[in-house]
Amino acid sequence: MANAPRSRAEAKSLEAWLRGFTARVRIPLTATIITGAIGGVLLVLQAWLLARIIDGVIIEHRALHQVWPLLIDLLATFIARAIITALTDIIGFEAAARVKRDIRRLAYAHLTALGPAWSRRERSGDLATTLIDGIEALDQYYASYLPQMALAVFIPLAILVFVFPAYWVAGIIMVITAPLIPLFMIIVGKGAERLNQRQWRKLARMSAYFFDAIEGLTTLKLFGASRAEAQMIADVSDDYRITTMAVLRVAFLSSLVLEFFATISIAMVAVYIGFALYYRDLHFLPGFFVLLLAPEFYRPLRNMGSSYHARMEAIGAAEQIVRLLATEPPASLPAPTPAPEPALTIRFEQVDFAYQPSEPILTGIDFTLAPGERLALVGPSGAGKTTISQLLLGFLHPSGGAIRIGGTDLRDLPPAAWLARIAWLPQRPTLFHGSVIDNIRLGLTADAAAVRAAAAQAGADHFITNLPQGYDTIVGERGQGLSGGEIQRIALARAFLKNAELIVLDEPDASLDPATAALITASVERLARDRTMLIIAHRLESVRHADRILVIDHGRIIESGDHASLLARHGLYATMSALRQDVPA
Amino acid sequence: MTDLLRLLRLFRPYALWLLAGIGLSVVVILANVGLVALAGWFIAAMALSGLSGHLIEYFTPAAGIRALAILRTGGRYAERLVTHEATLRLLAALRVWFYQHLEPLAPARLQYYRGGDLLSRIRADIDSLDNLYLRVLAPTIAAAATINLIVAFMAAFSVKIALIDLAGLVLAGVALPLATQRLARWSGRRAVAIRADLRAGVTDTARGLGELLVYQAAPRQTETIAALSDRLITSQRRQAWIAGPAAGLAGLAANLAMGLALIIAIPLVRRGDLTGPDLPMIALFVLGSFEAVAPLPIAFQALGETLAAARRIFSIIDTEPTIAEPAHPADPPTRFDLRITDLSMRYTPDGPWALQHIDLAIPQGGRIGIIGETGSGKTSLLNVILRFWAFQEGSITLGGVSLRDLRGETTRGVCAVLAQQTYLFNTTIRANLHLARPGATEAELHDALRQAQILDEVHSFSAGLDTIVGETGMRLSGGQARRIAIARAFLKDAPILILDEPTEGLDAVSERDVLAALEVLMQGRTTIMITHRPQSLRLVDRVFVMERGRLKQSKG
Repeated sequence: MANAPRSRAEAKSLEAWLRGFTARVRIPLTATIITGAIGGVLLVLQAWLLARIIDGVIIEHRALHQVWPLLIDLLATFIARAIITALTDIIGFEAAARVKRDIRRLAYAHLTALGPAWSRRERSGDLATTLIDGIEALDQYYASYLPQMALAVFIPLAILVFVFPAYWVAGIIMVITAPLIPLFMIIVGKGAERLNQRQWRKLARMSAYFFDAIEGLTTLKLFGASRAEAQMIADVSDDYRITTMAVLRVAFLSSLVLEFFATISIAMVAVYIGFALYYRDLHFLPGFFVLLLAPEFYRPLRNMGSSYHARMEAIGAAEQIVRLLATEPPASLPAPTPAPEPALTIRFEQVDFAYQPSEPILTGIDFTLAPGERLALVGPSGAGKTTISQLLLGFLHPSGGAIRIGGTDLRDLPPAAWLARIAWLPQRPTLFHGSVIDNIRLGLTADAAAVRAAAAQAGADHFITNLPQGYDTIVGERGQGLSGGEIQRIALARAFLKNAELIVLDEPDASLDPATAALITASVERLARDRTMLIIAHRLESVRHADRILVIDHGRIIESGDHASLLARHGLYATMSALRQDVPA
Repeated sequence: MTDLLRLLRLFRPYALWLLAGIGLSVVVILANVGLVALAGWFIAAMALSGLSGHLIEYFTPAAGIRALAILRTGGRYAERLVTHEATLRLLAALRVWFYQHLEPLAPARLQYYRGGDLLSRIRADIDSLDNLYLRVLAPTIAAAATINLIVAFMAAFSVKIALIDLAGLVLAGVALPLATQRLARWSGRRAVAIRADLRAGVTDTARGLGELLVYQAAPRQTETIAALSDRLITSQRRQAWIAGPAAGLAGLAANLAMGLALIIAIPLVRRGDLTGPDLPMIALFVLGSFEAVAPLPIAFQALGETLAAARRIFSIIDTEPTIAEPAHPADPPTRFDLRITDLSMRYTPDGPWALQHIDLAIPQGGRIGIIGETGSGKTSLLNVILRFWAFQEGSITLGGVSLRDLRGETTRGVCAVLAQQTYLFNTTIRANLHLARPGATEAELHDALRQAQILDEVHSFSAGLDTIVGETGMRLSGGQARRIAIARAFLKDAPILILDEPTEGLDAVSERDVLAALEVLMQGRTTIMITHRPQSLRLVDRVFVMERGRLKQSKG
């Protein structure tokens, strides 16, 4: 009902972006305009034929058989117009379809380029909405708004060419009133837009209120407030109605003005023609012809009102898409040199990281992870542990210092080659929509037996075989639901299958019950054998066997050592350990 | 159809607004048709009178043309205002109605409809119902009324022409849209399914891009998305190939009706049954009458969507609440010892038992802890105590009064609950706290926040207590949200405390803060705490283990 607030300049630049895509669809777009123009000419022809038939019957007193040829021509015009209408729609669709496809590819490629560190911070639902519903909302802009804008100029001009010779007074009325319509639309539209902007926030919050109440219904019930809430919803909706109507009363004025000018002008033309006929200043044939053309003259201008809506919707959608495209991917150096695979000694050299310079996330992180070593990161949530793992994976780049792999700066390594050496288990693994076997395999090529073996090592084979279709069961958002522990084990199976040199685990046992957590811990032990591992731990229990533990707090390494030595230091690790009591002494 | 009637019954209190809106639509359409027809008649009459030299009274038709022009524009403005006013009134009524029916079902019956899916579906469905009047009812009823008037008017000139007009209107307004819908149904469903796949694919990418990169599946995913995008366009193209010709045919129907009307009318004019000016009037009237059916294709399409939405909404609403409130509720208990005797419950009549033969007695002020694996029945027990779910066997008494004799609200009124999923409403911290004690003074709010160990943090926010939290507000950390919920529990000051994994998902430091706050809160209150955390269990007197729906006292 209302559009988000934005300045005119913003709207202009967004529309310029939308228009940028027309270059790729010049042919279908031009074709729709041409068919639209042919439709306009046929309309004039139809009016002329109709005027001649009626003139023939009532003025010239012709019989039906005498006007048959004209009626046949009229029928042909009808059919031609029907075909043109269908063609215009179909070609318009093609123009829009090509643009939608191009923009979707572009936006998806950009999303991939922005990387996981970025996409995980966004709401995945919003991104999907932008890429699907947002792009679909552009449809009418290309299929109908752009051609209609061109026709809104062409058709009235073409009609004027016929009106002036027929009855110049009507032509003058049209020429004078036509520009008033867009003019008043702009004046009223501006006022409405201002009002719209002021009310927008309030309206959005009010409509959100209802769904907030539904989502929190259990909580309301626990506080005995749920029944009184109905009255609140009624009050808020009433408020919403009153505010919205205040906006609409003004917003509808623009179409009132538009309709008013168009209709009054048609009435004026009719009355003028009537009197001209009465005083025999004009013949019936041209008079009636002009009367038939008058509404058609104003129709494209009136349609601009509804097209305007398509434009606003497209601009609103474009805003989201442009925001996505305008986000800079993490700076990567041009064309990394394909260096020989360096040995797997990882050095973090005084690494700093910050999204904004004023808010450092990591400061002076410095450590070495030797081949075959097991290094654990512990610390309070928000300390920066996950950021370290993302830097190591190359999803983020240090804002200071460097990460070296066997002496080579990580930035100089081709990302794909580096990631090929790593298996990663994120904090909340993703289950992709598809079969279990595809979910374990992902991009790797492996036969069913290898997948099964990996699943067995991850302790997942048993529950997978018990699923309705075993390894072919469709899982993911719209498939069979799996528990948190089961998803973790599928993610572990991926890591087993990949058989990589370096394993990165991010809190693999967070929020699992103890039995499942123990199962995962045992699998992780198996996975770590003979491999280099970086593990971010939630439960201190799972890091006791690590070769070295780094304690991270506020983005810095504050302690390091093995379990026993850290306990002996009586620092944060010892405190956390005592607090948890998870670790049997 | 019954769904539609049920909806209409809901609309009854607003009948006047709805009818006024429809009446205005009829006026607008008729004024428009009348304007062109009268103009045609007028100029023909003026021309003939000019030619024959007969004087005619031209003031009335000329004034009529101006009047219709004003009626049409003014009427259109009034129509839009009235129909929107009616829609917004309906929207308010629908939401309150829906909420009132949903309220007794929460949370038990709603657990079938999982998480975000339920909410986003309700959101879309309610929006769709909001549009029922504006997009479906008003245009359809207005079209039906207008067609009757139009055909009756034409019949005064020629019954044949009236019937042709009617046939054309039915063809363009009903037959063609229905046929189109039928033809496009298959590709329409396909498009919806592909869109859902595409959405799932993009969501997967956004969530799992890291895994796609690490496990070298990113190129494959890109191909999948591109292929889905192309398939979506293919199915949309099929729809365009149906919709385009349908639009052409609808226009053709209108033109043919006018052409046939001419063929019938011309001999009548020759015979003198109709006057000369009648001819252009009839032609323009027939052509103009098709404006009445122009919005019908969209209305038919929306009708299908709306009815599907209504069916889903009704299916939620029509669920029986799990718990029948007592006919003669007992007085609230005055003691707060909890005794559970041989309690068994299951979620469905033939499902497995979720709780079996539970015996548990907690004296007033006693504290117990319950541990057990996920799915062992801990949360079921809490649901039963809070009267969110019914139990089949055994009894629960609170201060000697059976829970079955108490209103659910009374039971919940003496319990303060702190659950894993703390819901903070999308409003200020202050309003979130007031929920627990409406009208609490500033000092009471501060006290509660202090006891929950979050006062200093709230003060450090720039808006303090007026900071907006929740989805659109400030992001609180898990520990902060949990402690605000604890402050709420302090304010509620209930004699019984129910804690469902109160420190789950928190890091050690946050956990310490939360536990410190809880320790104060538990003073003197009967407490049931579910947890895996040994540290939390220090706060309770006795520990029980839940295993496959059975409760045993822990040895340790």
